[in-house]
Amino acid sequence: MITAFRAEWVPLLRPRFLLGTLGAVVACAVLGTVLTFFSVGHQDFDGDPVTAAALSRPDGLIQGVEAVSILLGVVALSVVAASLAGDHSHGTLRNQLVAQPHRARLLAGKLLALATFVVVVVAAATIVSVGLSFLLAPTRGVSTAGWSGWAGLAELGTGFVNLCLGSLGYAAIGALAAILLRGPAAAIAVALAYALPVEMLISRIYHPARSWLPVQLMQEIATGGAAYAMPYADALLRGVLYAGVMVLLALVIFRRRDMTA
Amino acid sequence: MTFGSATDPAHAHRGPARVPATSPASMDTAAGMDTAAGMDTAAGMARSDTAIWTRGLSKRYGARRAVDHLDLQVPRGALSGFVGPNGAGKSTTLRMLLGLIRPSAGHGHVLGEPITEPDRYLHRVGAMIEGPTFHPGLSGRRNLDQLAILRGIGGWQRARRARRVEEVLEQVGLGKRADDRFSSYSLGMKQRLGIAAALLPDPCLLILDEPTNGLDPAGIREIRALLGQLAGAGMTVFVSSHLLTEVEQICDHLVMINNGRMLFQGHVTDLLAAEDPRILMIPEHDADARRLAGLLDDEGLRVEIDLCSGPPDASATRGRRPVVTAHAPEGLAAHLNRLAMRAGITLRSLRTQRPNLEETFLRVTGEIDGDLVRSAQAAQAPDGSVPPPAGAGLDPAHSRGGAT
Ligand SMILES: Nc1ncnc2c1ncn2[C@@H]1O[C@H](COP(=O)(O)OP(=O)(O)OP(=O)(O)O)[C@@H](O)[C@H]1O
Ligand SMILES: [Mg+2]
Repeated sequence: MITAFRAEWVPLLRPRFLLGTLGAVVACAVLGTVLTFFSVGHQDFDGDPVTAAALSRPDGLIQGVEAVSILLGVVALSVVAASLAGDHSHGTLRNQLVAQPHRARLLAGKLLALATFVVVVVAAATIVSVGLSFLLAPTRGVSTAGWSGWAGLAELGTGFVNLCLGSLGYAAIGALAAILLRGPAAAIAVALAYALPVEMLISRIYHPARSWLPVQLMQEIATGGAAYAMPYADALLRGVLYAGVMVLLALVIFRRRDMTA
Repeated sequence: MTFGSATDPAHAHRGPARVPATSPASMDTAAGMDTAAGMDTAAGMARSDTAIWTRGLSKRYGARRAVDHLDLQVPRGALSGFVGPNGAGKSTTLRMLLGLIRPSAGHGHVLGEPITEPDRYLHRVGAMIEGPTFHPGLSGRRNLDQLAILRGIGGWQRARRARRVEEVLEQVGLGKRADDRFSSYSLGMKQRLGIAAALLPDPCLLILDEPTNGLDPAGIREIRALLGQLAGAGMTVFVSSHLLTEVEQICDHLVMINNGRMLFQGHVTDLLAAEDPRILMIPEHDADARRLAGLLDDEGLRVEIDLCSGPPDASATRGRRPVVTAHAPEGLAAHLNRLAMRAGITLRSLRTQRPNLEETFLRVTGEIDGDLVRSAQAAQAPDGSVPPPAGAGLDPAHSRGGAT
């Protein structure tokens, strides 16, 4: 598995891909942070007022990047789906399976590498957003005193972990779609179509479904249980369960299937 | 068998020197004859002496049988060719041997390990299946690097791994372009990278699916030399190809399949020995053709006259001439010439035709003189499993793969 993990980093580290992905998440982070600070004195997406006082609290530092947690999730989903399905469509998977015939180990190594990559990407977004927050705070009358110190660090840490977990949940959806559909375009399109419009529609029409739909749960985890009334612990448990089942399903299918690519 | 299009049946004399031809029915029995006794002795010998050994290996896709009860026996250390027309089931067979797809029926061993456990033998196997496939955005070198890491070559020592990658790149002559992106490679360069990847683990068994596809003549010659060299060093090489002249030149062992079924397996020389050599004669005067045929028939030779289509070289300049074909070895040519002279027949041309793999292949797989046979068989076998055509010139022993 460790060889599969190391091998997967070879395509992930190709400069174009790496710079492209990092560029995308950094842009997302900048967008989220700038908009968050500029909305001081206005209302946010859910209609709640955004105040300088609220942003001055210890958890204010992570608000900017949390605002674009969906975008981070979409990037994670796309990267994972493109990598895994790309192996099928490029035909590189058959070379890899001859080199590492133990399929479960191969896929587990790949997933681990991709998960690490997602964490790196979220970290990059968080770092950029934090830096920008410190820059923007004085311009909107937000005090940064609460951000530093243990309370601030703790909030930053939990916020980052939540963002990672949420993004990894999106990534699990991408992984399952890639293994099922075997083409990057199809995998990304179907996974995104499900994650965004389909789930959104369902949860709009039937509100309680929110606490059971996987992507809604991932969203809930990413924002630390801020989006709607549901205990964070419940969301976390259900989300982890969903992601686990999706990964397990992907592994089982991958192990059993004929590799005709 | 006819030579040309308009053989006069009345004059197709058949002498005693006939190569045994098998009917489709007897051929079938031979190929599928897994009697318990025969199998046990074969199995006892096979698993130790063969690199690849299968019994009844089959793969169905819906109603189509891509591979149909294949009993492979590829000896260790051999340079073995795997031939068959498009869609014969070569790639499907190779995929099963590499654990990429699961057989629908049958079983097999590669390097003594069951094909159901590919992780037990694939570390000693290098393979390229259905063309070179690599990450388009990575250089040739990085692509090989990835596979080397996956195989654990050099462990954590980057330098050792890089050395091995460099070695195989040099081996296939790709050293200079190794740092270009794979997507910028020409077809031949991609093919070379595929072969390099297969060589990476320094395998005991090398499985290549059409490795010379897209290579220029010099490239084909290089690969031929490389494969010969590898086999000479003790590596077993199992290579599928449509370049039959190449296969005939380099392979000592041959597996020929069609429609998923075994047509022949054994030494190339055995296959060609079963084919009869011919001597083609064109008398100076057309009228002498029948007299010449009679003369040869009296000698006990099998003779055919093709009254209007001469060989291509003759017809190009002189129009169509009757050709008398005697089924006789090259050594008899001078004798036949003397015979004709004594009878007052002057030959304008006399040439010998040695059996070659390409012609044999086309005849056995039904691509020559096969239309009638094929349509008749299609009616017999609605599942698409067409038995080999009659008169294939193979005796049943050959199709059982005993000659290793
Ligand atoms: N995934 C698949 N689904 C359905 N049929 C398949 C599949 N793969 C192969 N086949 C069928 O199996 C048969 C054998 O195919 P295969 O690719 O093994 O032939 P081949 O001998 O390698 O041919 P070629 O010389 O053209 O490469 C063909 O009829 C093909 O259509
Ligand atoms: Mg093929």
